[in-house]
Amino acid sequence: MPAHDWGRAKPLDDIAGDVAIAGIGETAYTKASGRTAKEIGAEAAERAIADAGLDPADVDGLTYSGAFADFDVAAFHEHFGTSHDMWSSPWGGGMTWAGTAPYLAARAIRDGRARHILNVFPVAWATQRSSMTGGPGETHATQPLKQNLEVPFGWFPQPVYFATIARRHMLEFGTTPEQLGAIAVAARRHANLNPDAVMHGRPMTIDAYLSSPVLADPLRLLDCCLISDGGAAFLTTSTERARDLRQPPVIVAGVAEAELTGRNAHWSQQRELTSTPQVFSAPAAFAMAGITPSDVDVLTVYDPFTIVSLMQIEDMGFCEKGEGGAFVDGDTLFHDAGRLPFNTHGGLLSHAYVLGIAHVVEVVKQLRGTAAAQVPGAEVGVYGGYTGATTSTLVLRKDA
Amino acid sequence: MAIKRADFPLPDLTDERTAPFFAGAARGELVIPRCEACGTLAWYPMPACDVCGGPSFTWTAVSGRGRLFSWTVVERAFLPAFEDRVPFVSGLVALDDDPRVRIVSYVVDCEADMLTGDMPVVATFRPLRFRTVPDREVVVPMFVPA
Repeated sequence: MPAHDWGRAKPLDDIAGDVAIAGIGETAYTKASGRTAKEIGAEAAERAIADAGLDPADVDGLTYSGAFADFDVAAFHEHFGTSHDMWSSPWGGGMTWAGTAPYLAARAIRDGRARHILNVFPVAWATQRSSMTGGPGETHATQPLKQNLEVPFGWFPQPVYFATIARRHMLEFGTTPEQLGAIAVAARRHANLNPDAVMHGRPMTIDAYLSSPVLADPLRLLDCCLISDGGAAFLTTSTERARDLRQPPVIVAGVAEAELTGRNAHWSQQRELTSTPQVFSAPAAFAMAGITPSDVDVLTVYDPFTIVSLMQIEDMGFCEKGEGGAFVDGDTLFHDAGRLPFNTHGGLLSHAYVLGIAHVVEVVKQLRGTAAAQVPGAEVGVYGGYTGATTSTLVLRKDA
Repeated sequence: MAIKRADFPLPDLTDERTAPFFAGAARGELVIPRCEACGTLAWYPMPACDVCGGPSFTWTAVSGRGRLFSWTVVERAFLPAFEDRVPFVSGLVALDDDPRVRIVSYVVDCEADMLTGDMPVVATFRPLRFRTVPDREVVVPMFVPA
């Protein structure tokens, strides 16, 4: 298969071991909270800075989402009452960019632009839902090609695209609803071990999954992510500096980013409909880190729908393409079963829909040994970021 | 929603990038931009051909025959306009003229249980109406089993 026909990894410098995550901060994860994303972002930032044992004035770099610019440098200074110069980039935040923010930090540190760099991503989509502003559906409906060539034909919003992708996966590989359900059940099991998860205290069996309402066949309600308020932040600094701070450093061992090219960037036109750009980003990040999939002790991936997890698990090389259904069935993904502990905080399906930022924080907690559903002896953790047309792969490891 | 257009979710016929597609459907033709330099069917409409980089395209009629690449049966109305339409089948048809081109549309005149992967289908041109836009319709390509 000529790989360049549908996607590619972006060339990145080797930053293996240069930087570490030295602080993490999270807000409460909730249904509609009445709070603004800016307030949520400020709280996450405050907690990450405190966790690292730093003061706001020490933070001289900020990465955030340019697409949802709720917590930028102006918001930082307004909240903390500071006015110092800060390096910043709008290419951070959540989704794919929660995985590549540490790379931006490594570059900024290497170039002497900043020393302590915060990546922040807040969401208030549950609150905004009542006014029908923001949220994943509207973001898509406003794109003219979708508005003219997809929405009129009922191919909208996300559950419809991913149901179509799931159907093709079933046609090609014999994947079953029960196998997709195994992913949802594992996520809920972890959420029930995590008091911070929105779905904590609401256990779910495979029978409950199978009897949940079909939204767009073959996807059911319980294949789909939540809509939530909440946010998180993490602070990256040089590995050397991180060793002087109060938390055990979590080393950034490898980063990669990949994108679909040309017409493939439209879901409907993607040549490999049942694959993601993890085909390109995961091998690149694993090579930078000097690991193979069998070295990974804990995996979190951006999981808007069960099928997106299944495809990424395959594309990252944890099993052969098309064998993901059989691979995830049963207890494979459970935190304490040892095969591939997966989305151990509950993921977008059962923890909170905060677009991947909490997934990175979860990997950091696992490698510190402080996660709610702790994987015993976890040393290497991976985050898979995803937007559809892009993916990232972030490899973190415990400091030696 | 921030979409102010009164006829949403009908297609916006004033959008020059996609207007010829609907003009073709009104004539009973499935038309796709063809690169004038290399002949590639370039879909969705793109500023430069993704095979050769050529900047010019001619909207060209294709056979309307294809294969049902994948589909979903939409049970939940995600927009008010679809409340009287569910359940319906929406899917991707890979054209026989070039299977890289997939048309997003409805599959009609067939029970959902009878659909199979890669089954042959053919375009039919029918008026699309929504309950929320009572005074307008737009002819679009839909697909039926061939």
